[in-house]
Parts: sequence; C-alpha cells; structure tokens
Amino acid sequence: MKEWEYRTAADQDLPPGEKLRSLKREAGLASFLAQSCWRLFVYGYLLTYHRLRIVGREHLPPAPPFVLVSNHSSHLDALSLASCLPWRLRQRAFPIAAGDHFFETPISAFFSALMFNALPMWRHRCGRHALDELRERLVGEPAIYILFPEGTRSRDGEVARFKSGIGMLVAGSKIPVVPCYLQGAHEALPPHRSLPRPRKLVLRIGPPEAFEETENKSSGWKEISNRLETAVKGLGSQGEGRTT
Amino acid sequence: MSMSPFRLPLAANPLAPTPGIFDHALTVGIVGVAVGLLIISPVIFFILHRAGKTSPELNRELYTRYRSWLFIAPLMLAPILLGRIYAILSVGLLSLLCYREYSQATGLFRHRLLSFTVVLGILLLTFASADHWYGLFVALPSLTITVIVIGALLADSPAGYIQRVALAVFGLLLFGACLGHLAYFANDQLFRPLLLLILASVELNDIFAFVVGKTLGQRRLVPNTSPGKTLTGALGALVLTTTFFAFLARSLFAGTVLDHPIHLITMGLLLSLAGQCGDLVLSSIKRDLGIKDMASTLPGHGGLLDRFDSLLLVAPVLFHYIGYFLGVGMDQPVRIFSGGAG
Repeated sequence: MKEWEYRTAADQDLPPGEKLRSLKREAGLASFLAQSCWRLFVYGYLLTYHRLRIVGREHLPPAPPFVLVSNHSSHLDALSLASCLPWRLRQRAFPIAAGDHFFETPISAFFSALMFNALPMWRHRCGRHALDELRERLVGEPAIYILFPEGTRSRDGEVARFKSGIGMLVAGSKIPVVPCYLQGAHEALPPHRSLPRPRKLVLRIGPPEAFEETENKSSGWKEISNRLETAVKGLGSQGEGRTT
Repeated sequence: MSMSPFRLPLAANPLAPTPGIFDHALTVGIVGVAVGLLIISPVIFFILHRAGKTSPELNRELYTRYRSWLFIAPLMLAPILLGRIYAILSVGLLSLLCYREYSQATGLFRHRLLSFTVVLGILLLTFASADHWYGLFVALPSLTITVIVIGALLADSPAGYIQRVALAVFGLLLFGACLGHLAYFANDQLFRPLLLLILASVELNDIFAFVVGKTLGQRRLVPNTSPGKTLTGALGALVLTTTFFAFLARSLFAGTVLDHPIHLITMGLLLSLAGQCGDLVLSSIKRDLGIKDMASTLPGHGGLLDRFDSLLLVAPVLFHYIGYFLGVGMDQPVRIFSGGAG
C-alpha cells in the first residue's frame, strides 16, 4: 500500500499578518471565492468602461509557468494583464507588487493579497534571495507572474529602462517570458489621478521568449532586460499607426 | 406535512436574546468565577514574579497566554449568555475555523471542490441545529459523505482518491458532526448552564492533567504521541474532573433520572476521558503531519484547534448520554425556520 503524502500549506506556521505578506502565501477556499468574484467584476469593468481589446492571445503559452512583462503606467495594468488569461489560469496569476506600497499597512496587505493575489517585492531588499524564492514558487506551483520591469509607474506615459530583476528571475531557465504592451492606460489613469477616465485600452501580446542559454549573472540579466524592453517597445510602436 | 410553513411562532425575531440569562445559579457561578479569574490572574502573576517564583521566560509565557484568554473567554461566554441562536452560530463558526486549520495542515484545502463540500456540510449542520431539526442533523453526515465520495470522482484521477476522500470525511465528522453536537445542546432549555459546565469542566480537565502530571507524574502515558502527558496526570484529571462535574451537574439534573450518583459520576468520567482523548487525537494528527501547532492564530496557544481539541469528542459523548436518558430540548419548539413536522 502506498504511504500517504501530506503537503501542508507552505504558510501554515505563519501568524495571520505575516501570512499576507509572505511569498509562500497559499489561497484557501475563502480567498479563492473572494478572488473569483473580484475577477469577474474587474473583467466586466474593463470590457465595458474601458472597452478593453486584446490582440495576440495566441502567443500565450498553454500552461504555466510563464511570466508576463509589460509597460507600467497605471493601476489598471495588472488587472488588464490578468484579464487576458483563460479563466482556469487566472487564479494562478500573481502580480508582483511593490511591498512598500501595496503591503505596508495591514489593510492594504489584506486587499493586495486577497483581491489582487499580489506577491510583495520589497524594493530595499530585492536581491538574489527574494528572487530565488520567487523563481522556486513560479516553477514549483507552477504559476504565472505579472511583472513590470520598469519598477514603477511611468510619469509621462513613455516606457522607461527595464531593471535587471526580471533577468535574475528567468536567466538560464526554460520559463517563457511574454512581452505585452498596454496602450491607453496612461490616458485613462495617470499616476496623479485617483479615478479612471473611460478611455479605450488595447493590450498587445507578443511572442514569448525564453532565456535558457543566457548566463545567470550580471551581464546576462542586463541582456535579458534589454531584449524584453526592445520587444515591449516594439509592440508599443506597432499600435501607433493603427489604433487612432 | 399539511402544516403551513407560516404557522411558525417565529418569536417575532429569531435573533432576539433568549430570556432568563442568569436564571440558573450555575450560570452565575461559572461566569462569575471566569470573570474573577481574568481579573485576578495578572495580580497572581505579578506576586509570583515579585516573589521570584517564576522565571522571566515563564512570566512572559503566562502573560502571552493570558492575553489570548482575554480574547477567547469573552468570545466563548458572550454567545452563550446572549441566546441559543448566538451559541449555535458561534459553534458553527468555530467548526469552520477548525476545519480551515485542519485542511491547511493536511493539504486538503488544495482540493477546492472537496473542501467546499465539507464547508457546505458544516453550514447545513449548523442550520439543522439552529432549526432544531434532529432528522436533518443526523442525516447530514452520511449525505455529505455521499456528495464527497461522488465529488472526488469528478477529477477523474484515481491516484490519491482514498486519501482525499478520507481526509475530507475525517474533517467533516470531527469538526462538523462531533463538534456540531455542542451547538445542538443549545436547543435545550437549560443550555446556558449545561454548555458553561461542559466548557468549564473540559478546561479544568486540561489544567488538572497538566498540574497533577507536573507535580506527581513519573510514568509517561503515550510517549510517542504526546511526550508531556503522564499516567498520574491522566488519572488525577479523571478523579478531579469527575468530582467537579458530578458535584455541579446535580443542580442541572435535579428531579430527573440523571440525578443519581452513578449517572453523575459516569458523565464526569466520560467527559474527562473524551476530553483527554480529543487532546491525544490532535497530538497524533500533528505528529503524523510533522507540525508543532495547527496554526499561529493565538499567541501562546497555537491554532484554535490546539485550544479546542479537548471539546471535539466530549460534545457527542455527553450529548448522546443525556439524550438517551433524558432527551435534549424535548420540550422546545422544533423546525423553527423550516416549519415542517418534527
């Protein structure tokens, strides 16, 4: 007879507050139900208020693990990117969010974790250790990460330089990275506005890239972030001629 | 069957507190002692600390536990004092929270459909208690198991089928069915003193076993399951808890067939045994899983289950003992919400 194998929740021994902020957080039944309702609401909102159009869905890998990277100009970005995934994959998608912004207070941590399913990245200690932990989860679960390599929202709508953290996450692995470009988000909800305007959003998804051959060191990380930056900017300029 | 569902004397408002809060002397006594202990404990800790009887670590540990009790005690007492519906709903909530800890510790929570079925079973059991519908209450465990067994088929992956199903059924029976009996007690007219006496006796049982075991204990009871437990502690708790229960339960059962030393002592023994076994059941679960506590919700205690484990088996054992000889809630209105016959 086969021995039973128990897989205790990875965050089982953490006190409630730490659970929310932990990279090991696992969603239980209650958060799953809350997130499902929230996703349904967000999807409806994006489709009606922002008339969200998604181009290039065929480029999405059929199964996790993979990473979506995109330009970052508003709080609508992570919501729109999660909405391009098929329903069965949406619960596996984790936006990587700035810990010091989205997980600072217990209330913001509660909403970021429960509603957005976000995982915190602390800007003051986003070194190898944190990224290794993230990569372990990405492959082990397997999961989907939504990541903004610019590190912060663009203030003028232009795509800023990509930081090399994305390189540390995927260098030397088979994990596909899907470049995306979300157009219209800066006009709809720029950083200084608190309520969104009903502007049209277009999400372009490009073909995935993998970096198995790239060396897992500083020069390789830089190379990866440069290549992805070019791909995302390329998707951005693609749209300029057509959607006006 | 012919009765209209609107015939209910739905007591205008089912959420209204049940009258007669402090009618029974036992209610006054137990609540009084509990409140007294909460007030006096820090004073005792302070005196012990001043006299150098407790080390700084022990002192800190005592305060951590005390702070948790400041939360738990009112949460246990208030619903019972407020009324039957509050007592039933809070036991239902306790069942759900205990199941949550269990499903996260065993990994069952990843099987959402199964977990959802167990949660639904617990909710329906709570409704059966609130409705005072014994037929539904006894039908639900087997009906829910039927749904679990079928639901687990849907994934069409036989690998691990027995484990998934068994974990779900075990969870449903321990936290839904067994603990659910505590809620059903609230249908009795004397639910306040009855529930308070059970809670007080179970807590004391734990304390007796600990104190007697620490002072006199030599031989270990079940070293592999729970190294801290001693045979003397178990026997000491058995004697002391039985005495405590038998002595106080007299006033509850005065004038009934249970008002006899044999019955009172038997109930006390059953309570003490079931309480200690519930503790060991949880120790076995934790050892098997290789975890120290069921969660880290209550500082100084661990998870809710670490605190309420002793209650799990006491509730059904006492319920059916009393039910067999006296009945529980026999003179109270039945099917309060659903309005059917009996």
